[in-house]
Amino acid sequence: MNIGTRKILDRSFTAVGIGSIVVMAFALMIVVVPIVYNGIGAVFFTGTVEHRKMLYSEFKRGDSQELSSEVASSNRYRAKVYEMLTGFEAELETMAPEKKAEYQSKYSQVRTALQSLLGPLPGDPEPMLTRFKYGQTRWEKAEEKLHDLLYESKWDNSNSSVMSKEYFVSRAIGFEGTSLVRLFPYIKDNLENMLLPEFTFYWGFITDSSVDSHFFGGIWPEIQGTFFLAIGAMLFAFPLGVVAAVYFTEYARPGFLNSMLRSANSTLAGVPSIVFGMFGLAFFINTMKVSESKSVIAGALTLAIMILPTIIRAAEEAILAVPKTYREASLSLGSTKWNTIATVILPAALPGILTGGVISLGRAAGETAPIIFTAAVSVGSAIGLADVFSSPTPALSWNIYNLASEHEAAAQLRHVQYGMVLALVTIVLLLNLSAIVLRARISKKLKC
Amino acid sequence: MAEESVGERNRSNAFVVTARKRTLQKVAKTAGEGMLFSVAFFVAVVVLFIFYFVARDAIPFFQIRGFSEFFTSSNWYPADEPGEFGALAIIYGSLMVTLGSAMIAVPMGVAAAICLSDILPFSIRQYAKPVIEMLAAIPSVAFGFFALVVLAPLMQDHGGPMLMWGWWILVSPFLLLSVIVISDLLTANIKDEKRREKRHWMLLIVLGLFSIFLLFKVGSVLNGIQILTGTNALNVSIILSFMALPTIVSVSEDALQAVGRDIREGSYALGATRAETIIKTILPAASSGILAAVILGIMRALGETMVVWMASGNSSHIPEPWFNYLEAIRTLTATIAGDMGEADQVTGSARFHVLFAMGLLLLIISFISNLVSERIVVRQRKILSGQ
Repeated sequence: MNIGTRKILDRSFTAVGIGSIVVMAFALMIVVVPIVYNGIGAVFFTGTVEHRKMLYSEFKRGDSQELSSEVASSNRYRAKVYEMLTGFEAELETMAPEKKAEYQSKYSQVRTALQSLLGPLPGDPEPMLTRFKYGQTRWEKAEEKLHDLLYESKWDNSNSSVMSKEYFVSRAIGFEGTSLVRLFPYIKDNLENMLLPEFTFYWGFITDSSVDSHFFGGIWPEIQGTFFLAIGAMLFAFPLGVVAAVYFTEYARPGFLNSMLRSANSTLAGVPSIVFGMFGLAFFINTMKVSESKSVIAGALTLAIMILPTIIRAAEEAILAVPKTYREASLSLGSTKWNTIATVILPAALPGILTGGVISLGRAAGETAPIIFTAAVSVGSAIGLADVFSSPTPALSWNIYNLASEHEAAAQLRHVQYGMVLALVTIVLLLNLSAIVLRARISKKLKC
Repeated sequence: MAEESVGERNRSNAFVVTARKRTLQKVAKTAGEGMLFSVAFFVAVVVLFIFYFVARDAIPFFQIRGFSEFFTSSNWYPADEPGEFGALAIIYGSLMVTLGSAMIAVPMGVAAAICLSDILPFSIRQYAKPVIEMLAAIPSVAFGFFALVVLAPLMQDHGGPMLMWGWWILVSPFLLLSVIVISDLLTANIKDEKRREKRHWMLLIVLGLFSIFLLFKVGSVLNGIQILTGTNALNVSIILSFMALPTIVSVSEDALQAVGRDIREGSYALGATRAETIIKTILPAASSGILAAVILGIMRALGETMVVWMASGNSSHIPEPWFNYLEAIRTLTATIAGDMGEADQVTGSARFHVLFAMGLLLLIISFISNLVSERIVVRQRKILSGQ
């Protein structure tokens, strides 16, 4: 090969390496940016008067006087809508039967769309579920619903070789010649007056419990459950892990037994997380009966087993990183081995051990698979500390899955899901960030 | 003793080692060490317990239904009465996404590891490492959510163009490079300089035109593809490769670092460029460590639950044709996670035990690959230290 080609190859090799790191950073960005961007929308958004109504009646928050004046002003504009509806209903009664049936079905669609936009209409029975008690609480959702009200979506299947296409037909055309046709431009022009959108900082998203399976309210039970599970797992795993690391670094003699124990450790680290879940179900719940069925304690124990190898490894590394001179100095002063470990080595290794602990805490908070069968429920309120031995808890990781994949209104509740993902990612990344900072400080200290 | 000779007998006897004290110390030491050992041994006990309890619930399945159906049939109807428990398609789905993610993550991960250990200056490496750690730290359910809510609709709506751009961005640089290298290699033997130059340019132009034609042709074919469902094997493979990358990068970087500086310097001294040094000397020396990294990364992808559960489509069939990554599939982990809730109440049925059979399969695969990768790492360390 001539030298020019070799140089090109060398350069492009470098480019491939740098490119793959850039791609990794890019991948991180691609995943994190939409989560952060949309997740912030769960807390900061343009809220409507319905949101404030909901806050007042569900959580007793907000100024009742201000709210009632807002409701009054919005009702002034709504009254006209209701008037039009009653007018059209009267008109329906006078129509010929077949014409009436035709309009009736179209009209009921309009009514449903209006209900979801503005809340229950006058004359409706009191809704059973809280989700139907209020109209759209978020302005961008209200705009979507407005579109649903104004246009009917239809599917074009005329060309069977390509996928059918969605297209929209104005509903107003369907009511041509009746009194209801005036309703559509009126709502379009006055929606803002009816819903009074206003920039909202809903801090309650973090601290409120959810209302009617996450249609309204916040995610506090999930956050609390995540903390309970992660901290519970740490309570079991951290002391065990540190003690095991002390054994491996200070006492273990090379040999068959030691290599077997190390193999066991790395095997445990490699077990798929779902298998931990099955083990938790089969052992802690079905065999040991730590609780009747799912409970926080069973989940925490399962998570503890999962993070144990990580803690052991991190603690081992931290202990090995303590300079040998520390140990020798302590021993030469006449202290025993145990004394040296307890008063010299462990304190010196503590920041490193904590780093490993913090990272494992993040891992325990983020894992889903081990808690599916052992601790997680989809709907539930925040549990007290005394209930951890008997009752399961909602947790961020599980509820993200549940809300995104199994909830009946998953597509409507994207903002809540994004908010949850953001909360979880924030918790985990903050823990990791603090570990990174901690480690940087240690390496600086050891260098001096 | 020293204290007695000073004369004040009762000043301090802290340093006096009586026989009783010595036995006490010994007992304490043994007890302490025994306690430490038992805690360390606890890990081994846990591993044994995991094997025992998963196997205990898995074996009844094979007693009820035998082995052949589980591994050879792809009829998965566990809810029927009597149910059918052919897991072939599910096992195949697991292998498919694992292979797919390995195909993306292994080249990228190894390239990134080389870059980190040999190419980038220390100042940049400091910032690259946290990026990798962050990628490793993001919870799997967040990745799954991203795959389901962001990537799947994108694929469904703009699948063809996305594939085409991917093809262009990934393949065109490599094609360009190979054109240059091939034309160089083919003309290297010609002695006459003028003739060689002429041939070289001719080859470059011919091969270049051909490769551009290839790029356009395949690109337009890809552009025409319509992805029917965004929750498919390709989606999952991409996301799983993100998750396997950090493991592969960090373990293979360790392997590359373990290759000594003297080997690198020897290669440079013989006039090799950096790329040649890395490819011809460092990679072979670190190959077993990189293999271990690949195994660990693959295991991460095989054992991952949430992403495949949320974004693989969960349809238990072998795609048509078998390499079609654009179809929905179902994996072992997702089946366990999804079906346990329905099977749990009827403890004792084949439906419950088949999930444990799947868990046992996963456990055995992970156990073997862990042992293999560990052996590989130990052997490499021995070889390198022997040199």
